[in-house]
Amino acid sequence: MNILINLFKEIAVFLVIAYLFSKTPAFKLLLTRKFSRNYFFTLYVIFSAVSIIGTYFGVPVEGAIANNRVIGAVIAGLIGGPTLGFSVGLTAGIHRYFIGGFTAVSCGLSTTVEGLLAGLVHFYFMKQEKNERIFDPDVVFLTTLVAEILQMIIIIAISRPIDRAIELVELIALPMIITNSFGATLIMSLFRDQRYNYDKIGSAYSKQALRIAKKILGVLSKGLSQSSAEKIANIILEETNVAAVAITDRENILAFVGVGDDHHKPGNQIASEYTREAIAENKIVFIDGSNGSYNCPLSGDCKLSTVLVVPMRVNEEVIGTIKLYELKNKFFLKINETLGEGIAELVANQLIAARYEYQKNMLTKSELNLIQAKINPHFLFNSINTIIAVSRWNADKARDLLMHLSNYFRKNLKRNANLSTIKEELDHVNSYLEIEKVRFQDHLKIFFDIDKTLLDVKIPTFTFQPIVENAIKHGVSKLLNNGEVRIKIFRNNGNLQIDIEDNGGLYVEKNDKSGLGIKIVDKRIKNLVGNDYGVNIHCESDTRTVATILLPGGGMN
Amino acid sequence: MKLKAVIIEDEINARRELEFLLEETGKVNVLQKCGNALDGIRAINQSHPDVIFLDIQLPEISGFEMLSMIEITKLPRVVFVTAYDEFAIEAFENDAVDYLLKPVEKERLSKTIEKLNKLILGKTPQKLNIAPLKKIPSAGANKVKMVDIDTIQYVHSDETGVFFIDCDKKHFTELTLKVLEEKTKLFRCHKQYLVNLDKIDEVVFEENSAAKIQTNCKHLIPVSRHYLKELKEHLGI
Repeated sequence: MNILINLFKEIAVFLVIAYLFSKTPAFKLLLTRKFSRNYFFTLYVIFSAVSIIGTYFGVPVEGAIANNRVIGAVIAGLIGGPTLGFSVGLTAGIHRYFIGGFTAVSCGLSTTVEGLLAGLVHFYFMKQEKNERIFDPDVVFLTTLVAEILQMIIIIAISRPIDRAIELVELIALPMIITNSFGATLIMSLFRDQRYNYDKIGSAYSKQALRIAKKILGVLSKGLSQSSAEKIANIILEETNVAAVAITDRENILAFVGVGDDHHKPGNQIASEYTREAIAENKIVFIDGSNGSYNCPLSGDCKLSTVLVVPMRVNEEVIGTIKLYELKNKFFLKINETLGEGIAELVANQLIAARYEYQKNMLTKSELNLIQAKINPHFLFNSINTIIAVSRWNADKARDLLMHLSNYFRKNLKRNANLSTIKEELDHVNSYLEIEKVRFQDHLKIFFDIDKTLLDVKIPTFTFQPIVENAIKHGVSKLLNNGEVRIKIFRNNGNLQIDIEDNGGLYVEKNDKSGLGIKIVDKRIKNLVGNDYGVNIHCESDTRTVATILLPGGGMN
Repeated sequence: MKLKAVIIEDEINARRELEFLLEETGKVNVLQKCGNALDGIRAINQSHPDVIFLDIQLPEISGFEMLSMIEITKLPRVVFVTAYDEFAIEAFENDAVDYLLKPVEKERLSKTIEKLNKLILGKTPQKLNIAPLKKIPSAGANKVKMVDIDTIQYVHSDETGVFFIDCDKKHFTELTLKVLEEKTKLFRCHKQYLVNLDKIDEVVFEENSAAKIQTNCKHLIPVSRHYLKELKEHLGI
């Protein structure tokens, strides 16, 4: 009975050691699947020490020792596999051998066997891809139980005189088997629980990062400015609970929120040498007092003492930093350190996305400019040819046409205006149509149906010019008989609608130049006022084509 | 002797201007002016001009397509007249005599006429490289329909004109059997018939060494003795 109680006491000591070990950085590595050679050696030393301590803590019984040596060997085997189990068992076994006594050989040998046995259990579960099972209480308990029974058998088999050996085993078998099986199980459970805690922290971190990502989404659509930086800084502050957050570009502070915002002002130049270092060397700088101290360069009264500076990189280039601050008496949470790095990467990615969006919009704009600038050469030369012909018979008409042609081109070249009134747009289209009417004579008939109250409404410049041109160029000019174009501008359900209809019915959707003009008009309207608006083409083959432009009722004001 | 010319151009003012310039040289007699390709084909077949001044962008049937619809022997010299030169390469692939840009300059036009006169006096053969015809125009009341050759079963001519027949409909065309024989894959099997070889279902031989073709839409077409041998060769029988 005495033996049992004493052994349990020692198990308690082992549990304390195991708990302390689980709080060291070395423990974290234990959770990875493969050990480095150095780490393997560290584990060997730790577990061998534990195993040897088990021998010393043992209770002397009848010239032998009732002990917990097995725990170090079994756990080493379960966690590290046959090699580690064997090495630890052998080391502790040799140590036991030199202590002597009539069980020196059998006990030394049995510890080695026990370590190896546990290692084989580890090996078996790895093979089965059931790594989790090595922490399983049943598995640990059984492994230790079997190991200890084995030890008893070895003692009886090897130690002489045999009566003493049997006597000894009768005395120690039960206490050792029970205490060691329970002990090993408890220690492994403790390891498992600690690991679970680490996982929980990890997933809390992921959740927090996701939440921040969601909130940041969209804020940067217009790039990094003082206002967008302030929004992001506030989000980070709220989510991380650090004392203060700052965002800088390469030169200036864009935003500062939290403790110290009385003297850290957005718009100021970067004052901190650490920030400049982070930008210049493209590296994370963490100052927490142990490796230099953060002294606010602006105010001696500043309560901030710890700072993490994370550079934001876009295409390998540092475009600014995110800084997290903590107060003098507060511990800077490791999770926030990792999170800070994650956030900087997130912001940078969003900036890349925003830049891409912006470039896409610029592209639409430049495409439109191109279409505007590209005067349709057929129209130009045909018009001039027509005017030359007309001038032989009707000088007034020719002069008239030249005025229209000049008006048309002047408007075409006026690229700076983004918006025009419907009246201005009609004037532009009209000049074009006047010339086309002379070119095609009776072949072309134009009908207008315009709600006069809409004339002053503003719409994007060049909204229907390309579409009217398209209707004539690819619609009616291809007809043998008379072509008709109807232009209707009206209110429809609170929206502004422009219908341009021709009787060609020849519209085919393909990626040629004609389709491009319409696509660009459509894209531009959608960029300006959203996907509910834009250009729609409805074509009844060989009968008619209707292009419908839908805009908000109040135009673009 | 003045050159006989036909102008094919869809814009009335451009037609008038070109006519004016041509008459002004004193070396050209404008026989007819046409506003589209079909009128153009008709004018060429009627008045056998020495030269046509042809716009490329014409309604329904382009200038290039029109050239494919004229019998090779009846084809006059071709001068393209267009507003913009993106077609120049194609025009010269067609071995056009010349390529004029609108507005047409007087001096430039005189050079064209010199060139034309030399070619015609020297009887230099015209070696036009004209694309095969893939679609046949069918003139309706006030519309031209372009019908794909591949849908046609056979073509037939009688005193009222030339008709081509798809599975269930008969279409009138202004093109001659000879043009269709020259420019398409349709096969001459009878003085008055062309057949689409892809549509043949059966050939029934008759006693007088003639035959009848049955198409896949059950149309019956006569094959005259004269063409039977060649038909057999084509079909590999």
